[in-house]
Amino acid sequence: MAKKLGKIKLKKEIIPYLFIMPWILGFLIFTIGPLIFSLIISFFDWPIVGQPTFVGFGNYIRMFTKDKMFTHSLFITVKFAIIFVPLYMGIALGLALLLNQKIKGQSFFKTVFYLPSVISGVALSMIWIWIFDFKYGVINYLLSLIGIAGPNWLGDPKWSLIAMVIASLWGQGTMVLIFLGALREIPKDYYEASMIDGANSLQRFYKITLPLITPALLFNLIMTIIAAFQQLTLALLMTKGGPSNSTYFYAMYVYNNAFKHFEMGYASANAWIMFFIILTLSLLVFKSSSLWVYYESEVKK
Amino acid sequence: MKKLGLLLVFILIFGLMGCAKEDTKTLRFATWDSEDTLEVQKQIAKRFEELNPGVKVQVEGYGDGYDQKIAAGFGAKNAPDVMYMWDFPTYQASLETLNSYMDSDESFKTLMNDLYPGILNYSTMDDKVLGMPVGYTSHVVYYNKSLFDKAGVAYPEEGWTWDDLREKAIALSALGDDVYGFAFSTSPDPYDFEQYYWSFGTSYLSNDGKMMDGYFNSPEAVAMMQMFSDMVKEGSALGAQDSVSNAFRGGNVAMQESGIWPLERHIESIGAENLGIIALPKAKEASSVINSSALCMAKDSKNKDLAWEFIKFYTSPEAVKMRAKIDLPVLKSVSEELNYTSDPLYKPFYDMLETAAAHTPAFLLNSQYSKISEKMLYAIEKVFVDSVNGEPVDVKAILDEAVSESAQFLE
Repeated sequence: MAKKLGKIKLKKEIIPYLFIMPWILGFLIFTIGPLIFSLIISFFDWPIVGQPTFVGFGNYIRMFTKDKMFTHSLFITVKFAIIFVPLYMGIALGLALLLNQKIKGQSFFKTVFYLPSVISGVALSMIWIWIFDFKYGVINYLLSLIGIAGPNWLGDPKWSLIAMVIASLWGQGTMVLIFLGALREIPKDYYEASMIDGANSLQRFYKITLPLITPALLFNLIMTIIAAFQQLTLALLMTKGGPSNSTYFYAMYVYNNAFKHFEMGYASANAWIMFFIILTLSLLVFKSSSLWVYYESEVKK
Repeated sequence: MKKLGLLLVFILIFGLMGCAKEDTKTLRFATWDSEDTLEVQKQIAKRFEELNPGVKVQVEGYGDGYDQKIAAGFGAKNAPDVMYMWDFPTYQASLETLNSYMDSDESFKTLMNDLYPGILNYSTMDDKVLGMPVGYTSHVVYYNKSLFDKAGVAYPEEGWTWDDLREKAIALSALGDDVYGFAFSTSPDPYDFEQYYWSFGTSYLSNDGKMMDGYFNSPEAVAMMQMFSDMVKEGSALGAQDSVSNAFRGGNVAMQESGIWPLERHIESIGAENLGIIALPKAKEASSVINSSALCMAKDSKNKDLAWEFIKFYTSPEAVKMRAKIDLPVLKSVSEELNYTSDPLYKPFYDMLETAAAHTPAFLLNSQYSKISEKMLYAIEKVFVDSVNGEPVDVKAILDEAVSESAQFLE
């Protein structure tokens, strides 16, 4: 009897897993599998043609001691992230606040703001190449109207990274929707109560809105940091890392090592370092979240 | 009953198809062409099928993703039998050496005599022929005659020098703020760019491919880069970030260096009567790099003899003539038949071809070229970009830096 019960119990426990089996298999074959494999080949000198040879930590040592492009590309990426992340979050929140106003044609604006996210990165890059064009670009034309001679956006090492940031700020849709969802969740009574107490709109924003959307802020912050560190498409298409390697992102460094120089082992080692950097940053943000993220259900000690 | 009959017919058809399949040999052939030029490759393959009954050539047009797809093919040990190739240093270990086929094939000797000497250098590493050239282009200077007329500047003449080019460029750019005498890309392909090094009497690497110091940063190299930098700064040359050919077609650029590629569209947009073509100017010598399209055989191919037949057919006058729409014919007989050796629009390419045998590109001298060239490109780009943006440029220091950064690959 007991045995039979155990069998039924086992069956019951297995069934849910069977249902999610396609996903689990996909995850194992297409994510975990390659992940482990790339860890293995990161310890090899693995050319695309010819025999792989085991080099131990050779790839990692070379990266940190000999390869200047490693530090250079990492520096560019960090610089990009430092400018990009706050701007991106700020603009997304700003747009969400605007969309949260009760005005006519709200759903129209929502659609319009989401549109850029629908366009593929490749098409977007092509458009931005034109927008940034030194002579014929829209931006420099608009600047010329107010008497400013626009910079050579994509051709000047001083401006190219800024141009990348501006172009990257375009695809706002998803973040805005997440912020908007969080804003809608805030009960109206809080605002009403605070208004009766005489709080002005700035106070309402800092004392009510901001604390209550911190969970969304946390999520968006982590996603934005990850996106910033993985930035590749725009640079690959718009500048190919140039001019003078001023937009040579870390992801491009990995890509070039793998698919231009065909050093799969070295590129895998690069990718793992990137993975650890992103992991560390995400963990730091998570750890710090107990200090600034507020969940309604939790009771602060 | 009817159904049974139908079934029998099906079985018969499939059976026959099965038989047919056993008799045909399939040869996989990969090319980087797409659209119009891919069509040309398909026609040549079709012609080969006609001449060799029972052979099917599977033409695989990889287009822009060529390098990645070929790499994946070799990595998975599933490379095409025959393929176009330019990146010999990377793939040399996986490519069949063709010397023995060439030597043992009597009929090939006449063809070798018809081939322009020097082109074969560009697909040979360590005396091993890895690819058979089927088309080529050398580099020339295109010029816009109407701009020359407007500025009252004499057309360039054969044997001209870089100083002549600069003088003309200065005079031509006086036509207007937007007009430039010469234009070049601020981010050139390092492979193509080496011809200027040769022209000034130096090269990227030493002849054995092991030394970079004293070559890439030699005084001659510095002088050459300084010339380009000065031309940008004085406004006689445009350091173009995007297509130089587009700028030329726009009518604001009087002179441009390039291979055969933009010829057709240049004729379309500025007219054949306004288009002049002349050999590259010289400093110490006039030198052009050769971009050859060569066919290679995979070492792992299971149909090597058939693959060799196919390569041989591609090098034959018939196929080379069909290919003449894509780049220039590598055979003397075909070039003469098409009048290319006397046509003023094509002759300079053949003149420049004669300079080809004198040099071996650094590309074929060092197996680490792809990494070294990244450093070289960075240096070249930095000189040009800083010049365009009006920054102070210390050419020698920039070239020195590339040399010291490449040292790790030259060990």
